[in-house]
Amino acid sequence: MVRLGYVIGVAVAGAAAVAGVALVRGRGVSGGARAVSDARAAMVRLGYEPIGEPTASFEGDQELAWALERAKPGPDGVSLARGEGGALRWRVVFPGGGETQVTIDGLVWSLRRPVPTAPGPDLFPSLARARVEAAVAQAVTDPAAWHLVRAQSWREGGHTWERAWFVGGSGPLPSGWRRELELEMVGSTVVSWRRLVHPFGIDLGVVTGRMAELRMLRRPAMLGLAILVVGVLVAGAEAVAYRETVAPLRGIAYGIVVVLAGGFAGDALTAAPLEGVVLAAVIAVMPAWTALPRSRLRFGPAAGVALAGLTLAGRAFILGAGGWVPVTSPVPADMGASRLLAESWVPALVEEPLLRGALPALAAPVVGWWGAALLAAPVGALLHPLPAVPLLSSIALELVLQAGLAIVARYAGVGGAVLARGTCEALVRRASFPVGSEFDRIALLGVAVGVVLLLWPRRRE
Amino acid sequence: MKLLLAGAGAVVLGAAALTVPIPPRGQPAPESPESAAERAESTLPALGVLWGKVRGWERVGGGWTVFWQPAHGMWVVRAWVPDDGGEIRWRIEAAPWLPGARLSERAARALTGFDAGTAQERERLARRDWLLDGSRLLGALPAGGELPVRQFRHRPIVEAVLMGLLLAGAAARHLVPGSPSLLWRHVVVWSSALLVPLLPWLSALAPPSFQPGVRPWVGELAFGTAVTILLGALLFAAHRFPAVAGTPPAAWLPAALAIGVVAGRLEPGEWLLSVAGLTFGMPALAALAVLAGWLAGLAADGLRELLRFMGGARGFVLACLGIGAVVVAGPWLSVAFAVVAAAASDRGRGTWLTTSVMWGWVVGSLWSLAEWEPPLQDALVLLLLAFGVATVTALVSGVGRTPEASVADR
Repeated sequence: MVRLGYVIGVAVAGAAAVAGVALVRGRGVSGGARAVSDARAAMVRLGYEPIGEPTASFEGDQELAWALERAKPGPDGVSLARGEGGALRWRVVFPGGGETQVTIDGLVWSLRRPVPTAPGPDLFPSLARARVEAAVAQAVTDPAAWHLVRAQSWREGGHTWERAWFVGGSGPLPSGWRRELELEMVGSTVVSWRRLVHPFGIDLGVVTGRMAELRMLRRPAMLGLAILVVGVLVAGAEAVAYRETVAPLRGIAYGIVVVLAGGFAGDALTAAPLEGVVLAAVIAVMPAWTALPRSRLRFGPAAGVALAGLTLAGRAFILGAGGWVPVTSPVPADMGASRLLAESWVPALVEEPLLRGALPALAAPVVGWWGAALLAAPVGALLHPLPAVPLLSSIALELVLQAGLAIVARYAGVGGAVLARGTCEALVRRASFPVGSEFDRIALLGVAVGVVLLLWPRRRE
Repeated sequence: MKLLLAGAGAVVLGAAALTVPIPPRGQPAPESPESAAERAESTLPALGVLWGKVRGWERVGGGWTVFWQPAHGMWVVRAWVPDDGGEIRWRIEAAPWLPGARLSERAARALTGFDAGTAQERERLARRDWLLDGSRLLGALPAGGELPVRQFRHRPIVEAVLMGLLLAGAAARHLVPGSPSLLWRHVVVWSSALLVPLLPWLSALAPPSFQPGVRPWVGELAFGTAVTILLGALLFAAHRFPAVAGTPPAAWLPAALAIGVVAGRLEPGEWLLSVAGLTFGMPALAALAVLAGWLAGLAADGLRELLRFMGGARGFVLACLGIGAVVVAGPWLSVAFAVVAAAASDRGRGTWLTTSVMWGWVVGSLWSLAEWEPPLQDALVLLLLAFGVATVTALVSGVGRTPEASVADR
């Protein structure tokens, strides 16, 4: 029987590993290396050879990207966000001077080169306008669509500077959107340009409105968690009074891990310590909650892989059914590998012990374990949904994920649920970070832990 | 005969509590929020946008602030309607992404008619907003000025102490268990259940739920979810930390009620007027009074257990706390007094006393602040209901009741 269980474990480990790699493979923000070469080529075209190896960092305008996707559903919108919409860009900074922004699809969005010592002769006032209008061809691929709306010139540092503003209509952008360009010349040399996109209010409004609505719906979930924390405090007092078994050292260690992870994830200054204290209390009291299922860690990561697949399939289903959900992943505040690790595991470390541990433990005597799990699911579902049309589809998808985690917690305990959630979050969030094996390894960390646990030889009982 | 005399005494006590001259702290409201909304709709011009439905209201100063929002949620219209028939002030808030015009300062001044004063511009995605000497422009839309803001009278120390007593009460009821009262458990369950179907109306009491750019049904859903979670927590608490069964202090209930009425007239809860303005105001008021009373009973149990070690000095400390409650509790007067009074009584009677005080506070608040008819009728009905309950409990518990009989209410 044990041997059969082990064989099943090996099969599950293999399947989880294959599925995990498949979910990670080819996902992530691409174009970093290409952005560097495109930036260098653009500088060279302006007569400046940049010096040194540049640094490239990813930046994105979250709302703009989603508004473009919403305005042009399907691959067209995603392509616009990565290209002509300029929502997702690489910033390339050369150590010897010069900085550019290049979209993921390779469009030079903005550029600033050092002012040359010999920028060429100053433009004669009567010819300046024509020369500036002609210079727009160096910045855009469809110069005919752009027209000059305003220009100014001034003397500085012994040269005449020209600055011009162009409007390019909507071009390939959705109807009602507007492209703008600001271009600067010194003497007769173009030294910088910067493109802007002016979205159509309604397209952006749908996205920002949904985001505001989700922020509002998050409040009751936070209230639920706050009430839960009060319950934990009372339970802790009871446990101490009745001299029940508690694990203060384990709680403190867990709290420290939560504080450190929260710090890396960029949580607010007070949030991480507060979460650490609360989670330390929860973990310390947990041995007193004897009705909770025993933790079986080895099945957690495999379940996490399944849940990640379910989440991504659910988004595809919403899109396929005529709804809308963002394809472009949320843009993180910074792009370090530690950020991916922390952002993936903090929700797991913080929310799972509360929703799959404390809440069932406290409410199970009244409504039973499954009743408590059903109470936890809507609270969890309101914490992190993405904006969607219709709004409830995104919440429903989160509800499915929460229900899945409740099932995991029933059979693999709180520890299993933490591993499942962390693994799932890492695989889903992988797409927000640049392509690269370092990020792949971080995303697959949970899967690797699961495989090791499943393959670890078990003692005969 | 004894019972009749007691009943007559109770009625006299109630009448005295309602009629003894007490200067009210808040400003009485002569009209309902609906009537204020109608007055605003008929008095104000069209304002250039569709107002939508009345979504909520709150009592601010000497008037009602009423909120309208269309179903798409892109803007919120607010109007402050003063009681004295003075000028109605209004304000429009619009989602920041809504398109509009980018007016120059000169054009903005010409449109608002304000030449003097400092102009503040604010760039939005597709419009430029202006603030000119208190007059606002959203793009080219005149959007009114500032409205009076509700002043909250916070007593952070009193609030913290009451919260701590709630926690202490929860721990005390669990650590020092008594025989749980099924009656109070049912009362809390039914009061909570009564509030659930009223949620669509209760959302009118939560103005922050209605924000520009957020559709009103989402705001109502968020509010409903929050209230449901709170009620769920209360139900859980009623099950896990039940009130202890005991003989109702029938003789003390009218006195507690009268004290509550006086406390309500001294420190009325202005927000109760907003509840009274609801379509089904009375059941909501009754349920809220019961739930507040039960919570105060929980806090009272905490205070009683905390003071148990004081032995003979307990009575003196409670008397000091009672005086302190009157002096420093401010808007929490009735709650603080109910907690102290119940802590001075037996465990089985505390929740009865606190609920009576809170019920009386609701009646006293309405009596002191409402000047339109339905809430006054509601207050009288609630008072009669309370006397009815007191009479029934007096009849059921009776004088010379055996200890075994008190098991009946479990």
